[in-house]
Amino acid sequence: MSKKKAQGTNLLYQLIGEARGYDDVIIMGRGDPDFDTPAHIVAAAKDAMINHHADSTPPEGLLALREAIAARVKRVNNIDVDPATEVVVTNGGQEALFLMVLAVLSPGDEMIVPEPNYNTYADSLRFAGGVKVEVQTYAEDDFRADPADVRAAVTNKTRALLLVSPNNPAASVISPPDMRAMLDIAIEQDLIVIADDIYDLFVYDDFEHVSPASLPGAKERTLTLNALSKAYSMTGWRLGWIVGPADLMARVRELKAAISGGASIISQHAGIAALTGPQDAVEMMAEAYRRRRRLVLDALDAMGIKYGLPQGGQFVFADIGFTGLDSGEVAQRILTEQHVLAYPGSAFSKDRKDYLRMTFLQPEDQLIEGLERMKVAMANIVAER
Amino acid sequence: MASQTKAEILADHESNSALQAPLPAPVARHVKDLGADGLLSPLDERIIAAASEALEAGQTHYVDVPGIAALRAAIADALNGATNSRYEAGNIIVSAGVQESRFLTIQMIGENYESIGIPAVTHPGVQKALGVRGRNVISLPAAAERGYLPPIDAIAEIVAGGCRLLYLESPSRLSGAAYTSEEVGAIAEVLRDAGAAAIWDGGLAPWVDGGCSALASTEESPTLITTIGEAFPGTGLASWFIGYIASPEDQIPAMQSQKQIMAICTSTAAQFAALEASSLFEEARRLKLSQLAQLRSQIAESAAARGLAVIAGDAQNIMALRVSEEAAAKLRGAGFDFADGASFGAPDIIRLNVNSAALEALRALD
Ligand SMILES: Cc1ncc(COP(=O)(O)O)c(C=O)c1O
Repeated sequence: MSKKKAQGTNLLYQLIGEARGYDDVIIMGRGDPDFDTPAHIVAAAKDAMINHHADSTPPEGLLALREAIAARVKRVNNIDVDPATEVVVTNGGQEALFLMVLAVLSPGDEMIVPEPNYNTYADSLRFAGGVKVEVQTYAEDDFRADPADVRAAVTNKTRALLLVSPNNPAASVISPPDMRAMLDIAIEQDLIVIADDIYDLFVYDDFEHVSPASLPGAKERTLTLNALSKAYSMTGWRLGWIVGPADLMARVRELKAAISGGASIISQHAGIAALTGPQDAVEMMAEAYRRRRRLVLDALDAMGIKYGLPQGGQFVFADIGFTGLDSGEVAQRILTEQHVLAYPGSAFSKDRKDYLRMTFLQPEDQLIEGLERMKVAMANIVAER
Repeated sequence: MASQTKAEILADHESNSALQAPLPAPVARHVKDLGADGLLSPLDERIIAAASEALEAGQTHYVDVPGIAALRAAIADALNGATNSRYEAGNIIVSAGVQESRFLTIQMIGENYESIGIPAVTHPGVQKALGVRGRNVISLPAAAERGYLPPIDAIAEIVAGGCRLLYLESPSRLSGAAYTSEEVGAIAEVLRDAGAAAIWDGGLAPWVDGGCSALASTEESPTLITTIGEAFPGTGLASWFIGYIASPEDQIPAMQSQKQIMAICTSTAAQFAALEASSLFEEARRLKLSQLAQLRSQIAESAAARGLAVIAGDAQNIMALRVSEEAAAKLRGAGFDFADGASFGAPDIIRLNVNSAALEALRALD
């Protein structure tokens, strides 16, 4: 029987499907934190079911949630927004991403995308009829996007510049001076900045996260997304947001109404509790990711596997080029032989067939076991060469 | 310095009138709001218990893109039970509400067709979904006399003219009028002869006394007909935003992939709530339907006594009335909201939800 070679997101779903069949599988693939949503947030949802289930929500979301979001982006990101007109609540970061691309790009417009990047940007661009213009980044530079390369990629069709920091899958964080340089290019070339801050609470060592919209002159041309998914372990609640200047946000609001009407009231109340309630669970989870990252990097070092240093995020993008195999094949073998799921780089970009993305979203004992098994699979692959 | 790029984006937006169509509120905003799409219903304790239990057990993570398997099966069962269709779990995508269903079907099934036939009077969400990415639309005439359902010969005419995809509502989202089983049979024949497909919004079907014919029931197996609607209406799920798409197997991958791109999946808690609602739905629906039918005939009488024309409709949860501008202003002045027919394509019509406040609203016209 010949199995058609799946690619991109389809390949991921094929691997996820297979992984599900193994009782002892260790998931180091999907970007879904292992922690369950903190109890006080679940309690707020339950309260909302009893007391608020018949609330009505405008497409842009409940005002109380938009106020909590405005306070959050001020506190964490130093972005000033008016909750009345400059915030739209979305069904997760994913819908926010789709809406930002739709709001800004028309058929034929170009968006500059540092690569590798989260593949949904390319998918959304395809839907909008926009064109992706890639700027490559490399493991040996810890996947730093060079502003000079970005400037060189601008054409008279460029409408937008995508800045995902920390990046997925590369885990690079745009440094403050680079961020300023990126913004200078956007202003000089009159580009809209599409900013993805979804991993902003996960930054390691001495690296520093800057939200592009917080820089002088940036807000009027920047749309910024974030979500509760990764920071609060709320992937299943489908709650995110976009903040930006009122004029562009009016367009985002109409698009939100057109594609899904609004967001679940129950999730919105849970979101209010998450943003305004105690934050110790977030800190506890961030601390766990710090420990796990060290553990994973030490294991990769011991296996002699190179990677771009994960400056932020919840994963590492590791170079498995030494195997001589395509990452899809390597991911497949690690899964089938050792029941460990890691994502092939080829699912993120056709040029990253030499990489695997491994997440730190499992308890430490599971990660240790997963890395041990991976070592066995890699040794087998190398021995066959 | 003002941004030229931004000015271009905003100009694009302003010229796109379809995208700016105002939508009815999903759920009533206050007691005198008679214009919302969602039926205001208490949330059954069993639904609260089931959703809470799922959340407390850690169902707080992503689930499968098309929805949790048990809910997909429950939606297929409910549709088949109500309409004699033959959908299976694999034909179902759980959506984040009926507007997402409209968007995914119109855009993704629409991609395979050169044009799409759309009634001149439909829910404004249809225009909005079309506005996101332009499609070649062929308008189907829809008149008040038949509750804004396009006549069969008009459907036959555009199909004969080459249109191979239709978007139809039955019951109409404005009047509640539904096609009879003979009419549904006739539409099916037109489609079958031409190999044409349809997206069928049957979301209001549960509110038709005695059942409502569905285009999907005319197929031996789902091949060309996609059905959309809200999941288990009347059980208090309106503000949870949960709907469905029931579609032939070969249409599923494109919609599922687009669903992944724009949402990853539908809220996990909402899905567990809907799963519990599936077992309460039929009983709740019957009870609600008899209450609605009684109220609706009272409202119709009251309207007739005031010389207002009621547009004939079958769904018991809504009523469309022809009112003068003065009467509409009077209603607004008295604090009542209603769905404005203008946004559906019928300017002189208002749509009221059937509840006791509607009787009060009519009295405000005296
Ligand atoms: C960079 C980035 N943006 C957005 C998202 C969407 O996240 P969600 O829709 O779960 O909030 C993800 C998810 O992995 C991501 O990695």
